[in-house]
Amino acid sequence: MNLKHVFIVFKKELIDMFRDKKTIISSILIPILIFPVMYGFMGFSTKKLIKDTQEKGIEVAIKAEDNNSSIVKFLKERKELKIVDADDAVGALRKGTVKVIIFVGSGFDDAVKDGKPVPLTVQYDDTNQTSTMGEGMVREIIGQFSSEIVSQRLQEKGIDPAIINPVNIIEKKLGPQNNQDNGMGLMIFSMLLPLMLAIYSASSVLPAATDNGAGEKERGTLEPLLTTQANRLSLLMGKYFAITVAGIIGTLASMVGLFIAQKFNPEILGQGNVFSISTVIIIALATVSLTLIFAALELAVSIYARSFKEAQTYLSPITIVAMVPAFAVYMIDPKNIPIGYFNIPIVNIVCIMKELIVSIVNPLHIIIAFAWAIIYIIIAIMFARYMFTRESVVFRV
Amino acid sequence: MITVRGLSKKFKAFEAVKRISFEAREGEVLGLLGENGAGKTTTLRMLATMLKPTEGTAEINGFDLLKQPDRVRGEIGILFGGEVGIYDRLTARENIRYFAELNNMEGSAIDKRIDELADMLDMKDYIDKRVGKFSRGMKQKVSIARAIVHNPKVMLFDEPTSGLDVTSTRIIHEFIEDCRKQGKIIIFSSHTMSEVEKLCDRIVIIHKGVIVADGDIPTLRKHFNNEDLEDVFIELVGGKR
Repeated sequence: MNLKHVFIVFKKELIDMFRDKKTIISSILIPILIFPVMYGFMGFSTKKLIKDTQEKGIEVAIKAEDNNSSIVKFLKERKELKIVDADDAVGALRKGTVKVIIFVGSGFDDAVKDGKPVPLTVQYDDTNQTSTMGEGMVREIIGQFSSEIVSQRLQEKGIDPAIINPVNIIEKKLGPQNNQDNGMGLMIFSMLLPLMLAIYSASSVLPAATDNGAGEKERGTLEPLLTTQANRLSLLMGKYFAITVAGIIGTLASMVGLFIAQKFNPEILGQGNVFSISTVIIIALATVSLTLIFAALELAVSIYARSFKEAQTYLSPITIVAMVPAFAVYMIDPKNIPIGYFNIPIVNIVCIMKELIVSIVNPLHIIIAFAWAIIYIIIAIMFARYMFTRESVVFRV
Repeated sequence: MITVRGLSKKFKAFEAVKRISFEAREGEVLGLLGENGAGKTTTLRMLATMLKPTEGTAEINGFDLLKQPDRVRGEIGILFGGEVGIYDRLTARENIRYFAELNNMEGSAIDKRIDELADMLDMKDYIDKRVGKFSRGMKQKVSIARAIVHNPKVMLFDEPTSGLDVTSTRIIHEFIEDCRKQGKIIIFSSHTMSEVEKLCDRIVIIHKGVIVADGDIPTLRKHFNNEDLEDVFIELVGGKR
């Protein structure tokens, strides 16, 4: 291998890649924008829904035998409910003009007075988000009504209503040492971030790998390149490093997008997560190692393909290869990961990230995972080299 | 000088080239004539070290194809036919520079050589423009410059005019003439009789991977007692007149 040739190829491929509008759009622009746009719209529609519900109230139709019963009066007094007169209440619910129908049977007040349980039917449309939300609100209001009745009954019998709550639970979270209230945020973060980084590592190298292998073949530039004095390993490594850099830039762009989105919608990754520099560095190294593995694999497959289109067909499932192991440990508890997991490709890197996010720094786990990562990278490069030196693959003869 | 000795190439069960031997000399255009699939491209790919021979070897200006492939590549320039494969997002200068650097040229020698080639091939007006929107003729000139930037002593042409219009074909023909004048060793593969008759000093006719004739055109005509090279070719490859 000639390092000078490697650098020449690397430099040329980077220039070529970043002059391509397609690469800029698919590797940088879309990853930066996709999350903010997606979560921006989601946040906007959710906020609008909540605002509309709070300001205008939920449209509720009450079908009661006695409109003067205590429950009807109680419901009519609630500001968050907008009582609507509807002859065909079920039809109105279907149309969406009414969100919830409350059916109050006859003799409601008498049954309450006698201390008997009273059935009350609440009908809603579970395909309608506002209706589902309204059902929750109505359930809560009726719960308050019930509590008042229970309280009244107990007081009438001279019993302190507090008696029905014998245990008063005080919730106290352990959380991370530097942020006591943020355990939930970290849990969400430890599930989502490794998954996303694994998927990005595979998907962000895809456009560059396609262009550098099959693209070079399709353009007819591979043959002249093979007649230069640069040997194949130098050509391959130059391309490989360029693809890896493109992949890392793509992953970084996705991360930037994700963090911008989090500003709009702080619940995405959990709030207030702060990590030490060493944690960030190890997570970054883990991501780079995944990118190095996928870059070599995808370049090898791309070299095998006859055309751009063929390469895209072969390469798309590789993202799934990244997703399967990442999803397999998606729900795993970072504090109890069996040591065997640190020997499984991709899973090991994902597990290391999970541990680091919840402040577990286990040197043995890190060494095992990175040792394997180095082995996988070497195997992946050897595979790419094998493909690039095989006449039957390069020329498909 | 190029000396090819018993060169063979097998792709699985299919033998594309069968123990061929021939020579090519300085200042001479050797035509490699044959039908599609006769083994011309495979032969040139082996000489350019892109394919490894199954049997036999060749010596190019004293460098052995199998033992010194890097040195062999330093001696040759190759021009392919069909679509001109250059990098659209790079300028003409960057395209040529890339190949100069990969052929171990350095520093100001590269710029000097590129300016020289731009002058020679009349590319000065667009040498610093991106090649994406170039005409076929302009791209052809860039690919010629790229192939000869390192001043190779051997030029291999693999059906270089296939699919080209008259103007682009003329550019190639003139370039081959220039190479001959410079005393380069030239191997030119084609299946077009008129082109071979016009450009080549000597021809090797290859059919189903085997050399069926090797000699200069007047000798072949005399030997087969036929003035029409096409008739000679058809007779050799077993077709009907």
